[in-house]
Amino acid sequence: MENNVILETEGLCKYWGGLKALDDLSLAFHDNQLHGIVGPNGAGKSTLLNMLCGHYKPTSGKILHRGESISSIKPYEFARRGIGRSFQKTNIYSNSTCLENCSVAVQRLMGGSFNFFRSRYSQKMLDEIATQALEKVGLGQRRDHIASQISYGEQRQLEIAMVLATSPEVLLLDEPMAGMGHEESQLIIDLLSRLKKEYCIVLVEHDMDAIFELSDQLTVMVDGQHLVTGSVDEVRDDPRVKEAYLGQGDEVY
Amino acid sequence: MLLNKRAERLFVWIFFPLALLMPMFLEQNEYYVNKLTTIMILSIFVMSLDYLVGKCGLITLGHAMFYGLGGYIFVMIAPEYEAVNFWIYTFYICAISATVAFVIGFLVLRTNGIYMIMITLAFAQMTFYYFSDSIDFGGTDGVFVYVKPETSIFGLSLFDLDNPTHFYYLCLFSLFNTLLFFKVLIRSRFGRLVDAIHENPGRTVALGYNIFIYRLVSYVVASALGAYAGYLFTLQYGFVNPSMLSWTTSGTALVMSILGGMGSIYGAILGTLVYEGLHYSLEHLTEHWLLFMGGLIILMVMVFKKGIAGFLEDLLEKRDGK
Repeated sequence: MENNVILETEGLCKYWGGLKALDDLSLAFHDNQLHGIVGPNGAGKSTLLNMLCGHYKPTSGKILHRGESISSIKPYEFARRGIGRSFQKTNIYSNSTCLENCSVAVQRLMGGSFNFFRSRYSQKMLDEIATQALEKVGLGQRRDHIASQISYGEQRQLEIAMVLATSPEVLLLDEPMAGMGHEESQLIIDLLSRLKKEYCIVLVEHDMDAIFELSDQLTVMVDGQHLVTGSVDEVRDDPRVKEAYLGQGDEVY
Repeated sequence: MLLNKRAERLFVWIFFPLALLMPMFLEQNEYYVNKLTTIMILSIFVMSLDYLVGKCGLITLGHAMFYGLGGYIFVMIAPEYEAVNFWIYTFYICAISATVAFVIGFLVLRTNGIYMIMITLAFAQMTFYYFSDSIDFGGTDGVFVYVKPETSIFGLSLFDLDNPTHFYYLCLFSLFNTLLFFKVLIRSRFGRLVDAIHENPGRTVALGYNIFIYRLVSYVVASALGAYAGYLFTLQYGFVNPSMLSWTTSGTALVMSILGGMGSIYGAILGTLVYEGLHYSLEHLTEHWLLFMGGLIILMVMVFKKGIAGFLEDLLEKRDGK
């Protein structure tokens, strides 16, 4: 593989009581690649993302960031290491403007978050970086709109803009196209195909067309187990995948 | 713009000039001057609570603990028969109560919601029973302050705390500064984080912030100001007693804050004024004033969903809309 491994899991497990949500998963995520993760409902995709961003602690196994184990660090430290995530359900500051949403993200890098007296609007550079993040996802014109008043698709874009505003290295995206119409999905697909040239992206998505189009690497998971990882064509032709998706019948998406 | 709502600007421009002139009309009537002074002091206390509850989303039922501590710390550290310097002791009291808040906040802020209410209440009750059972601090009678502090700065004595009018202006000045401080704070970079954490804590963590630290700083700041209000109250009446620490003090302050409009900061003054105004007028009308007071408060909370401040803002907005 010509691209560096940024994020890695080694024998990652997560048990909820007796339920194995994730069982012995070892994956590597590379720089400048989009790594798609698919699988039927309950396959452990979201659990995996929640662990990669530090939201859940693994029951056993390790998460490595650039070769360094980060399983035991605090959730907020994941973001500081450049691991940014978006959520399955839209998770934004809905009463604030789009710009303000991104400014919160930018401010962490600019510092001064313990400054009691300096106005939050006083620094032009902060505004500019936040605006750039919005423009990158195509929300430039929505800059001063209240986040709850833009369309659902735009809110999903805003969420990605917020992650971009933290200057991440890794983007963990949990179903960014969920609940979107065809045209809106196409916007996100275009966006992601641009972004994957610069970032290491881990994408969990139910939209098969999108994921086949975007993925450089594709992992299929079933019941918390790793089934197969490979290029899109390899995975598509794998008999085990056909069985997992088609054999069971009831879980077909 | 520091005051971003029209109702807010209007209120500040009416209230403070009026309050500045008030003692001239009440020159002969010391009772009313004292009454208004108490309202100012309470407003500072309610404002610090309003910041915690309304702005930070940290619901505490133990804020009276710091109000009481403000007074008790003073009687603990000040010599009994000697006038100390007001400004130096203001610093001491704020610093000591901030330290206490830091330690307690460390434990309290691990919880949230209903659990936080219970834990803050538990700490406040512990403090309450400690002081009300303690012989050194006069039990339920509390402690008298025989000598009030002097107020000189570099040998220049500007005013006298024994003079009610002077004391009134000191409290008004303190209230104005507290309001200004919170307004600047909310508009600051730190305030951006306060807003973000209140609206969506999970998202703020995902953006890489350690939200615990921000909450702790807010808790410490608000507690120190609560203690300052308690210190002023002690100086006004010349004594401290455990009722300042009681949970009813916290509860009343919470009612005032909700009545005024939670999170509006200036609403704390409105809430305190209206509550104390009602208290005063009903007390003179009937023996069962608490009954009517309760009814009226229920009614007001039902009518003014966002408090009096929210009601005024909506009113002005509607008028502008037409």
